Amino acid sequence: MQVPDNGGYMVAAYVITALVVLGYALTLLYRLRRER
Amino acid sequence: MPGSRTVAIAWAVAAKDLAIEWRTKTALLASLVFAVLVLAILFFARDATAVPTLDVAPGALWVTFSFAAMLGLNRAFLLERENHALDGIRLTPASPTALFLGKMLGNLVFVGVVELVSLPLFVLFYDVAIWQGLPVLLLVMALATVGFVAVGTLLSAMVVRTRFSEVMLPVLLLPFLLPPVVSAVQLTWRILAARPLAELSGWLSMLAAFDVIFVVLSVLLFEAILIE
Amino acid sequence: MTRLERARRTARRGTILTAVALAGLAAVYVRALAFTPIERFQGPAQKIFYVHAPAAWAALLAFTITGVLSVLYLLLRDRRLDVVAASSAEVGVAFSVVMLTTGPIWGKPIWGTWWTWDARLTSTLFIFLLFTGYLVLRGALGDREVRATYSAVLGVLALVLVPFIHVTVYWFRTLHPEPIVAKPGAPSLPGVMLVTLLSSLAVFTLLYVGFIMQRYALGVVREAREEGDLDAGA
Repeated sequence: MQVPDNGGYMVAAYVITALVVLGYALTLLYRLRRER
Repeated sequence: MPGSRTVAIAWAVAAKDLAIEWRTKTALLASLVFAVLVLAILFFARDATAVPTLDVAPGALWVTFSFAAMLGLNRAFLLERENHALDGIRLTPASPTALFLGKMLGNLVFVGVVELVSLPLFVLFYDVAIWQGLPVLLLVMALATVGFVAVGTLLSAMVVRTRFSEVMLPVLLLPFLLPPVVSAVQLTWRILAARPLAELSGWLSMLAAFDVIFVVLSVLLFEAILIE
Repeated sequence: MTRLERARRTARRGTILTAVALAGLAAVYVRALAFTPIERFQGPAQKIFYVHAPAAWAALLAFTITGVLSVLYLLLRDRRLDVVAASSAEVGVAFSVVMLTTGPIWGKPIWGTWWTWDARLTSTLFIFLLFTGYLVLRGALGDREVRATYSAVLGVLALVLVPFIHVTVYWFRTLHPEPIVAKPGAPSLPGVMLVTLLSSLAVFTLLYVGFIMQRYALGVVREAREEGDLDAGA
C-alpha cells in the first residue's frame, strides 16, 4: 500500500503554528518595549 | 441554608421586578413576538419534503426558548442601572443570597411565562402530539430553564456595567446553554415521540446535576459581585 | 526592589525563556520533519500531531490555570493572581488558535472531514470561546477591582462548565455516532515518535511559561501606569 500523499497539509499546519507562535511572541515583545 | 427571612426578601425582590415589568409589559411582549417569529422562521427553514416536523420541532422549540430567555435576562438589571438602584440595593441589610434568589425568581417567572405562552403556539405550528407527555415536558422545561436562568442572572448582573450589555450577555451566556439545551432537546424529542420513561433518565440526571451545581455556584459567586 | 523593578526582571527572564523555548521549537520542527519516520498508513500529515497535541495541551493547561487562579483570587484577593489569570487567558487564546487551525488541517486528510462535533473537539472549541468571552469582559470593564472580581467569577463558571460540555457531547455522540472514515485510535507510538512528541510537549510547556512571565510583567507595568505610580514602592 502506498503512503498517502498529504504532505501539503503537514506543511500548512507547521507553517501556521510557527506564524501564530512567533507572531504572539513578537506582539509580547513589542508591547513590553512600548511600556518601557 | 436560606431561612424564612431570606425567602421573604427573595419574594419581595421578585415581586417588585415583576410589578415593574407588568406595568409596561414591553419586554414581555417583545419576547413573545420574538418567540413566534423564531418558531415561524425555523419551520420554513428546511426542506419540507425531506425533513419531517418532528425532526426539527424540538430544536426549534429550544432555540426559541433560549433566545427569548436572553431578551428577558437582559432587562433584569437594566432597570437598576438606569436608576442607580444597584447602590440602593447594596445598602440594604438583605443577604446577597436573598437578592440573587429574588432576581432569579423574577427572571424565572418572566421566562416561564414566555415559554408557557409559546408552547401552545408551538403545538399549533408544528402539529405535534403533546398531551400525553405534557407533565414530563413541563418538568423538562422547568429544569432546563432553572439552569440557564441561574447563570444568566449572575452574568447579567456583571454585564450591566459594560457598555454593550445586550451583546455581551449572549456572548458570555451561550456556552452555558449547551448542556441544558442539548439535554432538553434530547428529552423533548423523546417525549414527543412517546419513548418510554427509562430512556429519559440519563438526560434528566444531566439536567438535575447541572441545575444543582450551577444554582449553588451562582448564589455563591453573586456574593463576590456585590461586595466591592 | 519595587514592584516595577520586579516586573521588569520577570519580563527579562520571561523573554529569555521564550527565546530558549522558540529555539527548542525550531529543534522540534527539525526533528519532527526530518528525523521522525513517516507513518505508513496516515502519511506525512500524521506529523501534524506533533504540533497539534502539544498546542492543545498548552491551551488546556492555560484554561485550567485561569480557572484555578480565579478561584484563588476570589478567596485571597491578591491582585497578582488576577494578572496571572488574565495572562493565562491571553496566552491560552494563542495556543487555542494553533490548536483549532491545526486540528481541522489534520482531520481532513486523516478522518476525511474538517470538523466533527465530538466531545474533545467541541470542548476545545468552547474553551476558546470562553477564553474570548473572558477577555472581552475584561476589556469592557474599566475599574480594576471590578474587572478582577468579575473575570474571576467568569473564570470559575467556565472551569466548571467544560466538563459538563464534554460529557454532554460524549453522550450525544454515543447515541448518534457519526461514521468516520478512518479514525486513528490511541496508537501506542513507537519510541522515535514518542520522543518527538514528548520533546514537543516540553517545548510548548516552556513556551507557555515564558509567555506567561512576559505577559504578567506587561500586566503589572500597565496597571502601575494606570494608577499613576510609576515609581511605586513594593
